[in-house]
Amino acid sequence: MKLRTLSLGFWLFGLLLVSVVAGVALGSVSLAPDVVLHALVGRLADVTADPVAERIVWQLRLPRVLMALLTGGGLAIVGVAMQALVRNPLAEPYILGLSSGASVGASLFYLGFLPPLLSRTLSMPLAAFLGALLALTLVYLVARQNGLLSITRLLLGGVAISALMASITSFITFASPSPDKLRAVLFWLLGSFSGARWSLLPLPALAALLGLLGMLALTRPMDLLLLGEEPAAQLGVPVERAKRLLIFIAALVTGTLVAFSGTIGFVGLIIPHVVRALTGVPHRRVVPLSFLLGAIFLIWADLIARLVLPGVELPVGVVTALCGVPFFLMLLRRSHYRFG
Amino acid sequence: MRLFSRRLLLLLLLVWLSACRPSPAPTDGTLSFTDDLGRVVTLPRVPERVVTLAPSLTEIVFAAGAGHKLVGVTTADDYPPAVDTLPRFSALPVNFEAIVALQPDLVLATDQVNNPRDATTFEALGLPVYFFAYASLEDVLEAILTTGMLLGTESVARRTVDSLYTRLTQLAAVVDTLRQRPSVLVLISDATLYAFGRGSYVHDLVARAGGVSLTASLPNPAPVLSDELVLQLQPEVIVVAAGASYNPDQLLQRHPSWDLLPAVRHRRICGMEPSLILRPGPRLLDGLEALLQCLHPALARKLP
Repeated sequence: MKLRTLSLGFWLFGLLLVSVVAGVALGSVSLAPDVVLHALVGRLADVTADPVAERIVWQLRLPRVLMALLTGGGLAIVGVAMQALVRNPLAEPYILGLSSGASVGASLFYLGFLPPLLSRTLSMPLAAFLGALLALTLVYLVARQNGLLSITRLLLGGVAISALMASITSFITFASPSPDKLRAVLFWLLGSFSGARWSLLPLPALAALLGLLGMLALTRPMDLLLLGEEPAAQLGVPVERAKRLLIFIAALVTGTLVAFSGTIGFVGLIIPHVVRALTGVPHRRVVPLSFLLGAIFLIWADLIARLVLPGVELPVGVVTALCGVPFFLMLLRRSHYRFG
Repeated sequence: MRLFSRRLLLLLLLVWLSACRPSPAPTDGTLSFTDDLGRVVTLPRVPERVVTLAPSLTEIVFAAGAGHKLVGVTTADDYPPAVDTLPRFSALPVNFEAIVALQPDLVLATDQVNNPRDATTFEALGLPVYFFAYASLEDVLEAILTTGMLLGTESVARRTVDSLYTRLTQLAAVVDTLRQRPSVLVLISDATLYAFGRGSYVHDLVARAGGVSLTASLPNPAPVLSDELVLQLQPEVIVVAAGASYNPDQLLQRHPSWDLLPAVRHRRICGMEPSLILRPGPRLLDGLEALLQCLHPALARKLP
């Protein structure tokens, strides 16, 4: 079993490398493979390559692919965290209103309703983080009754909070004093990596890695939480603290990623599910493999978004939703769905 | 069944309402026009109270010499300064109540902004609507003449249009001497790269100002361009419709990889007042001259 997981990890890692190469080689402008190779190697080996190809490969495609990698990995493990938190595999940041909460915070800041507290690059993720935290706390409070989480209430609460947050976003968008930013906001709300640049990568990278490390440290409490809160407490898990940490990680990672790339749904739903089907329930396997598979998935989703219309970009959230919603409905149809 | 009869009732009501309007009878001074959508618009007399459903139409009414007849404009209107004192109403969606309260004799609309289906609602309210549709610069100039005819200020409208045509001919004469026509990329915004695709009149404007628009062949009429596509197009001039005071450095800040573009290297990035090229009205000529100033500053000085 152990060996199988390891080899699965290696396979996924190899696939991730292939995806990164594909993400760099393909795009809305077609470049010949040798031109791409030249541009890639040229920078490293100090050989002069075609300058346009060099810009496309190094300054546009590579940071974009890395942003998709970090976002995909981050959103996938947030899905794992939320599913452990509510003990149900249907939980996901997009469905539970976390992403919409983050976009309320971010658009409030973007449209000039909130003052930049720190620098611009830090304030927007901070506002998004607070929005995500607020949405998740609300949903959690609505769904909780006598110490038990009702899954019906959780999903319905998520739908309601999503709708509420989306309408708040619409309201502040329409009330915005700077109408020229509207188009940019609308595009960003659907999720896109088109603005990815090297200088924007550190913060999402930090959030995704912190989230990954935090989740890796919490693998045992998460396993035990699946048994139920009381059994987990009897087995020595500080249940409340573990749950609060999971909420914090989910809000931090979602908030930061939404602030940079917009709301991209369903990655956290599809990926952990597929990983559990491949490797079983234990989180010490599910967490790292979900990160890898989420990264691969979103790199390809972004590639589809870039390639499907000639010369034109599609918001990547459209692609993930088109893949994710049928998947979600399929899961809902299986009425007795459980972990494992 | 009940639903059906209710619909029938509504239909009858509409028929009755439309029958209530004065029927076209040229003998008693009623005027009859056919608008650009092929609808017949009858007016009992020359209108004295007019509302416009788009900023471009307001500018056209003023150019036709009938600005004093406007009794209301949309919340988006900002030109000429005389509109500042007029009552406002929302045009998207149309605030019918506010318009009825203004008691206009004529409503001017354009299929570029307004929904032609709104015409039925206006008809039911007893308000005549004239719809404009324009596909070219000449159509816009014709619209000024038509407006003059509708509002009884034909001679002023004729004079305005003649002088606009004179400017157009002068510009064409200057541009015809050109041998080199730079490739031009026109952007609506600088962060998300909205541009103009196939069928847009913007390409015609660029051509008249002595340039070649790069996005004319894109299949999508309102495409969002990718950074790499722009890198491949290698525009020699970039026009950003984000105001005349647009800071060209901002473009490079938002798109650092564009330092290679000829437009960036030769600092040929122009900010343009959006209403001058995006609003199909009399100021399109100003927009054209501003474009010429951007593309061929030396030629622009030759204009009288």
